[in-house]
Amino acid sequence: MKTLKKYGKVWWIMSRNALSGAIYSKLSFLIFLLGKVVRFNFFVLFLFYLVKGTGSLAGYDINQTIFIFLTFNVIDIVGQFLFREVYRFKPLILGGDFDLILVRPTSSLFRGLMGGADFIDLFTIPILFIVLYFVGMNFHPQIGDVMLYILLLVNGLMITAAFHIFILGLYVRFLELDYVLWLYRDLLNLGKLPVGVYKQPLRDILVYLIPVATMITVPARAMMGFVSFWGVIVSILIGIVGILVSMRFWKYSLKYYTSASS
Amino acid sequence: MERAVIVERLTKEFEVRERRPGLGGALASIFSSKTKKVKALKGVSFSLDEGEMIGFIGPNGAGKTTTLKILSGVLYPTQGFVQVAGYTPWERRHDYLRQISLVMGQKNQLWWDLPASETFELNKAIYEIPEKVYKRSLDELVEVLKVEKYLHTPVRRLSLGQRMRLELIAALLHKPKVIFLDEPTIGLDVVAQQKVRDFIRQYNKKNRATIILTSHNMDDVADLAKRVVVIDKGGIVFDGALSDLVNRFAKKKIIKICMEGSVDYKKLERIGTIEEAKMPLVTLSVPRGAAKMAAAELLQSFPIEDLTIEEEPLESVIRQVFGGKG
Amino acid sequence: MRNKYFSVCRISFIQELAYRSKFVVERLQSVLQIFLIFFLWDSVFSDPSREVFGYDRAKILTYVFGLLIVKAIVASTKASDVSGIISSGELTNYLLKPVGFVKYWFFRDISARGIHTAFAMVEVVILFVILRPPFFLQTNLVSLAGFLVLIVMAVIIFFLMLTLVSFIPFWLVEQTWPPIFLFLSVSEVLSGAVFPLDVFPYAIQKVLYLLPFPYLIFMPIQVYLGKVVGMELGRSLLTAGLWMVGLMIAVNWVWQRGLIHYRAEGR
Repeated sequence: MKTLKKYGKVWWIMSRNALSGAIYSKLSFLIFLLGKVVRFNFFVLFLFYLVKGTGSLAGYDINQTIFIFLTFNVIDIVGQFLFREVYRFKPLILGGDFDLILVRPTSSLFRGLMGGADFIDLFTIPILFIVLYFVGMNFHPQIGDVMLYILLLVNGLMITAAFHIFILGLYVRFLELDYVLWLYRDLLNLGKLPVGVYKQPLRDILVYLIPVATMITVPARAMMGFVSFWGVIVSILIGIVGILVSMRFWKYSLKYYTSASS
Repeated sequence: MERAVIVERLTKEFEVRERRPGLGGALASIFSSKTKKVKALKGVSFSLDEGEMIGFIGPNGAGKTTTLKILSGVLYPTQGFVQVAGYTPWERRHDYLRQISLVMGQKNQLWWDLPASETFELNKAIYEIPEKVYKRSLDELVEVLKVEKYLHTPVRRLSLGQRMRLELIAALLHKPKVIFLDEPTIGLDVVAQQKVRDFIRQYNKKNRATIILTSHNMDDVADLAKRVVVIDKGGIVFDGALSDLVNRFAKKKIIKICMEGSVDYKKLERIGTIEEAKMPLVTLSVPRGAAKMAAAELLQSFPIEDLTIEEEPLESVIRQVFGGKG
Repeated sequence: MRNKYFSVCRISFIQELAYRSKFVVERLQSVLQIFLIFFLWDSVFSDPSREVFGYDRAKILTYVFGLLIVKAIVASTKASDVSGIISSGELTNYLLKPVGFVKYWFFRDISARGIHTAFAMVEVVILFVILRPPFFLQTNLVSLAGFLVLIVMAVIIFFLMLTLVSFIPFWLVEQTWPPIFLFLSVSEVLSGAVFPLDVFPYAIQKVLYLLPFPYLIFMPIQVYLGKVVGMELGRSLLTAGLWMVGLMIAVNWVWQRGLIHYRAEGR
């Protein structure tokens, strides 16, 4: 319990500092917010008119397509909110500042992963959830479906966490594999659309390699009432395995780093 | 003959925004932001002849870098007259820029990911240096600074000392007539510092380049500059020979003693202030005028193996200059 | 004089390739983005006879491939680096050199583009082989000429717009990435990089074509496809040309003002 409290405090202080910095650049804050809103709205409008005009997209109707897009945003934004610090990790490693972190009595993994929360998302996330609620209600989901959705969303976030941990491990181990992060983001971006849209072999990549399907399409389908029992089990398994593998990789990378000279 | 650098009543004001501490302060700033007017330079005047090299010293924030930036054309002054090599710096004429160089210890011009040789080639084109002249300058500089091995390594892989030497080459390839050096030895080890100093001295002599050097490292100043201009809080406090500076401001002299036997410290303290005592070495400071007498008395009253009289270290002299006159 | 800027191009070229992994990943990103758009439309038009918003499968997929090429030429830019340079004070280093800053950046910009375009061509061929979309080869010389002229103007217009946005740190020091992000978000859609602009109702289109954005991507592709000819082509070229000149004047003006401000603050 004590560790939890301690980490909570550290996270709060770091985020508070980030917030102070962000407020001072109040203009940055607003402009960024505007940019995100613009992007979001454009795509929703586009999807709306597209599916309206064509009737369906890979078998999904308007509501379903938009719901999948919204689910993508949840995973994308919440993931970025929690793990923003990863984006700042590269200069930390290259500058040698990571050594300073290793010396401190806090988990270096925690420090590299979290603590850079972007407070713009404090605005966008609640709004997102509200919209999600309204669109989701169109499916008249049963309470079981909703619970399943939430469970699979959390699972999706676990997979996101696993990825970020893995990427941190890559930084520590190889020092220069920066852009894997951007690659991950771009692949995740493909999850804006229902995975059924993509043809092989891309679809397989999105289902098995970078499990975008598991993170986004599957939870959405749960809400719509379409997901199978085994689908859920497999998804959760992927999540758990993902975390275990990534943490193992992190430990390995850390060991490699600390035993190598600068 | 016109002087190389003329500065008359140079004044520079900045507007600085204030940040208030804490989250509350941050929120308050959404509604109002305070700005302060800071006078960085208050009527600075000095001038240099061609080929002269001076030390430009002062505490942090005194206005050294601001002055150099105005002289190199980067900043506009608020008031005053400046002429360098016959040009008005802030007009930034290309002909002017080709004759000057500003080397800032902290800011690099070498491309980080590429070998220095690439930046040199680029500078050659930018400064329109003819091929033959370029080759000759480059070879000369590389030989003197002994960096031949490092020319083709990406800059980010080099040590600070190696990088600094290459930065110097990049800054001097076009054989500028007026050079502004801002903290050129910062961060370098003792050996590298000496190398850079020797190089600067040689360059100044050989090319009759006018050089203004700022440094916190008093060894740089003592080694290179016969004349110093001391600036504090935006105003010139002293302009003259370094030896005059020491004579005027150094209130004490340092007596270094190597003792032969044990010592009664109380007795010592009656002659002068004990600065440091690590037996058998003792360092005393005495008022300037009393130095000779103090030395004589020491030699009489104590078992002394060796004794020297020295000037105060330049750092503490300068500190006294800034601490206020008298 | 010419030699000066050629040297800039050369070192820019080398710099782009210095970080090979970064370069490769940037190309990969570009490919992935194209995948998204391609598959989206491919799925919408899975029934090949279907027509939506005046496009059929062949036309839309040709648009997407045109998009890949045009985007590679127009969108890969270094102009946004200027933002960080002004904000951090690195601009001072450039001010000390006898070289025009904006010109210098323009040459850095086009050399970076050069590499990305070259690679994009390779990607197009590969993707073509993999995805086998229908492709339309333009043979009309006037259309081709119009296409080339528009592309050149598109490059210059995009560079100028991004440079303008990158000048914001002159006055608001921390605003480096956010304004650029906003600008890119807006221009992404309005330039036709996600979907063809004639999807919009006619009234909106008319307004849109007065802005510079459509001339970055949409118009060049349309001209290539032969859908914009004659008077319309002339009008497009004229509008793009006017924007180009107007932006040049604007950039110059803002640059002078910004420089005064920068040098007053002494970063």
